[in-house]
Amino acid sequence: MRDYIRLAGILLLVCVVMAASLGYTNAITYDRIQEQIIKANDEARKEVLPDADAFEILDDNAFSEIKSNGKYNFVTEIYTAKAGGNVVGYAVKAVPKGFGGTIDVVVGIGTDGIIQGIKVGNNTETPGLGKNSATPKFQNQFKGKAWDNTINVIKSGTPKDNEIAAVSGATITSRAVTDGVNQALEAAKKLSGK
Amino acid sequence: MNLWKDFSNGLIKENPTFRLVLGTCPTLAVTTAVFNGIGMGIAAAAVLIGSNLIISLIKKIVPNEVRIPIYIVVIATFTTIVQMLIQAFSPALDKSLGIYIPLIVVNCIIIARAEAFAAKNPVANSIMDGLGMGIGFTVALTIISSVREILGAGTFLGMPLFGEAFEPFLIMILPPGGFLVFGLSIAAFNKITSLRKS
Repeated sequence: MRDYIRLAGILLLVCVVMAASLGYTNAITYDRIQEQIIKANDEARKEVLPDADAFEILDDNAFSEIKSNGKYNFVTEIYTAKAGGNVVGYAVKAVPKGFGGTIDVVVGIGTDGIIQGIKVGNNTETPGLGKNSATPKFQNQFKGKAWDNTINVIKSGTPKDNEIAAVSGATITSRAVTDGVNQALEAAKKLSGK
Repeated sequence: MNLWKDFSNGLIKENPTFRLVLGTCPTLAVTTAVFNGIGMGIAAAAVLIGSNLIISLIKKIVPNEVRIPIYIVVIATFTTIVQMLIQAFSPALDKSLGIYIPLIVVNCIIIARAEAFAAKNPVANSIMDGLGMGIGFTVALTIISSVREILGAGTFLGMPLFGEAFEPFLIMILPPGGFLVFGLSIAAFNKITSLRKS
């Protein structure tokens, strides 16, 4: 019996000390980690809507209205972008399912319905293949496309106005990103009431 | 000096990657880019030194019957601390290494050195062992990821080396390439060290 108490006691002691040091480390890093998350999100929004100087998260009512429609199932966040107090566009975050998991896509759409830029963020796609969707070469294809048409993915040949070329060897990833962009476009169009 | 011997052991003679062949899972997974290889090496080294230190400190009070859970708790604590620090100060590394940071807990190198060395040696020597093994691991990862990134992506630390015309050997950054480079590296390592002996 004595033995069990000793064993359990030492285990408990080690766990308490370790837990205390974890608690301490958490306390000193928590704020900074939160800052990093906010910074990364703000940076992504600024990248896709460079003219904006302020972003406001869409109010709950408007957002729930959009989310209540099942066809916007990838959309997770919508920010209204303003410049000098006027609404200049929307930064919509969509999280479609790619090849290796979900892909964070932020789309910047002007009030005129034209994509100003997209940014592919966190993802677990294959390095050298799907991960290349996060390169300017792929992302820039979406610039200038309008919300009038659904964007399609082609594997070869020259993409027309409503098409983009898939990353070589990563069609699934490319299609996933495009699905996310299309939903973002529709959501923005619905919001603007056009 | 005994301390030097315990340190240099992990560099070549008992290099954890090329000799002991431990921690192969993260080795194969993160060596697709040099930045990731170096980052993972340093993170694992930090955990290794910390856990060796603590386990050597408490070795007298750790009862044999519960030593494994205690080692795991210590290693898991250090891994979590390293993860929090990486998330706070290097989100770029956090993004690249992703799930492989928490997986440092089950990196065999760490529990192997805890059991084989730290549990039986003084604190200073254990720290040296952790440092040597950590550096040996980092260097091994850097070598493997250099080959894979240069051939498989045409870049080094993200900087393109060849012109637009270079078609990278994609297989190098996929699993088969990982095994190929790993195996060939061990062969090369053995050849070079046996030459040096003679």
